[in-house]
Amino acid sequence: MGLIKTQPTVESVTEEVRKHPRDCAGLLAQLIDPNPTVRRWAARDLADCPDISAALVERLHQEADISVREVILTTLTGLGDATSVAGLVECLRSEDAARRNEAIEAMRQLPDAVAPIIRGLLADPDPDVRIFAVNILESLCHPEVERWLIEVIDRDPHVNVCGAAVDLLGEVGSGAARESLLRLKARFANEPYIRFAADLALGRLRDA
Amino acid sequence: MSPTFASPPTWPWGVYVTPEPAETGITISEADFQKFREFFYRKTGIQFDSSKRYFVDKRLAERIEATGSGSFRGYFMLLRFQVNGEELQALTNLMTVNETYFFREEYQFQCLVDSLLPEIVARKIDRRPIRIWVMPSSSGEEPYSIAIYLLERWAGIHRWDVEIIASDIDTRILAQARQGLYSHRSVQYLPADYLQRYFKRRAEGYQICDDLRQSVEFTRVNLSERADTRSYRDFDVIFCRNLLIYFDDVSRKTATETFYDALKPGGFICLGHSESMSRSSSLYKVRKFPSAIVYQRPLEVS
Amino acid sequence: MKRVLIVDDAATVRLYHREILEAAHFAVEEAMNGIEGLEKALQSPFDLYLVDINMPKLDGYGFLRELRGQDLPQAPAIMISTEAESNDEQRAYVAGANLYLVKPVKPDRLLTQVRLLLGDTHP
Ligand SMILES: C[S@@+](CC[C@H](N)C(=O)[O-])C[C@H]1O[C@@H](n2cnc3c(N)ncnc32)[C@H](O)[C@@H]1O
Repeated sequence: MGLIKTQPTVESVTEEVRKHPRDCAGLLAQLIDPNPTVRRWAARDLADCPDISAALVERLHQEADISVREVILTTLTGLGDATSVAGLVECLRSEDAARRNEAIEAMRQLPDAVAPIIRGLLADPDPDVRIFAVNILESLCHPEVERWLIEVIDRDPHVNVCGAAVDLLGEVGSGAARESLLRLKARFANEPYIRFAADLALGRLRDA
Repeated sequence: MSPTFASPPTWPWGVYVTPEPAETGITISEADFQKFREFFYRKTGIQFDSSKRYFVDKRLAERIEATGSGSFRGYFMLLRFQVNGEELQALTNLMTVNETYFFREEYQFQCLVDSLLPEIVARKIDRRPIRIWVMPSSSGEEPYSIAIYLLERWAGIHRWDVEIIASDIDTRILAQARQGLYSHRSVQYLPADYLQRYFKRRAEGYQICDDLRQSVEFTRVNLSERADTRSYRDFDVIFCRNLLIYFDDVSRKTATETFYDALKPGGFICLGHSESMSRSSSLYKVRKFPSAIVYQRPLEVS
Repeated sequence: MKRVLIVDDAATVRLYHREILEAAHFAVEEAMNGIEGLEKALQSPFDLYLVDINMPKLDGYGFLRELRGQDLPQAPAIMISTEAESNDEQRAYVAGANLYLVKPVKPDRLLTQVRLLLGDTHP
């Protein structure tokens, strides 16, 4: 007994993973295997297969095991095509807060794919979807982020959508946001939170 | 997924203390400081209170100058919008102390022998070795510390086999780890009798004795490379200290997913003291033990 | 001094609630998602939790479920939501909330509720 060293053996590799050859058709079949470990490895390795986003999105919606869902999301983030993003948008409408937040986090990593659809999301009839759209902008690396946020605080009637947007403007806002922030404060004069948030953002504007 | 670090890493890992930056004449206002503080907290989980203002300002000023940003505002936009996240990585490196030495963050080793191993052993139904993965190994102080700790402070070592595998992306640092040669400074927190038992005096410092060197397996692995990590399975405990904090959001998430499959159900991950799983993954349970907070792969997936 | 943990991913919201509570002499700490919230609660439990619903990694429901399952001195929790939908409220209570408020919360309302939950009748 004590400290030992064994040669890394193939034995330690879970057998189910080896059941199918690592070809794309085999991996697709493994995506619905009863064993979550097999599903995770399939979702990971499918990253190397062509035209796979639709199948992954479909699986994402059905998958109940969060550990598999997380890997599917990582692979979809790596693919980052329109199909993946459309699948993520659907998750924003989920009743399940965990699914919504997973989608938001994934979309933050996809500035180029999200940019063409973000205005649509920011104009969604459902205020919750609009708030999630603003949340996506939080870490999005895109030069238009400030412009989108200004549009939100200029137009959105919902106090919490504007509240979320002001929070981010404190981080990315420049002098271009000043007038809109002042107007927002006037529009929600009876909301202490908006006054607080707008003042904070005004104090932090880039070329204040 | 591309690795976050250009390989081999270009900055001085290992024994390294952030030097005081020089005066630059760049000023950072209170509003700037608050804005930066919130951003850095969100990204890294590190919270600076106002007492750290001077420390933070000086390092910010240094990076503002080094990047030619001219002002805090320009620099902040670089940090916030840079797609590859390199500048955030450089800044994080400057804001944290990268010093590695024997028995650093000893409370975690304490937790390993007092809490984690007893739980693992109680759950075990076979006689196979207990497996520990140290990723990254850096120059070897951490895996050797674990080995010494097990031999000295864990009675179970007489009943169980333990395998320690230590990996790093950097082949030079791995060669150094295998050689096991350390400075006075690196071994200063070791009890004198341990130093005597496990080291040989050398002209340059201290060398780990052959027995111990033989008992840790060092391997080259890029944590962000699927092909490299695929065969790393069935670990009971993973130590991943002071690496994820330098990764961007996606690499960090991928890495914790990799660990999930490298661990047995119920296996544990120990992160560095300024790191939290809250910036990486929701897959693990937070477990509080008397000497440390540790993350656990759930036993049963419901 | 009673200790309050604010668990919210929006920095401005955390600061807003912090200033209200600190002005009323509460000691406030912050966490930006459910996992960090749990870590802080496990390190040293709080007298009250102020919890947002939508957060990355672990949302407010998940946080409360985990918190309620821990071997800790339990304390009241207020769930704060942007949604005025009733089934959110239902879910919040099922997860272990003691009160459900809709954002944005006015300062005096927050303080009244916090004091009520803490059984503190002094103004
Ligand atoms: C700051 S050191 C941490 C050392 C030690 N664990 C500690 O806490 O002191 C970071 C180490 O991570 C290694 N590293 C960086 N990127 C890596 C990657 N993608 N995969 C594996 N190791 C990596 C570096 O070579 C370096 O040795």
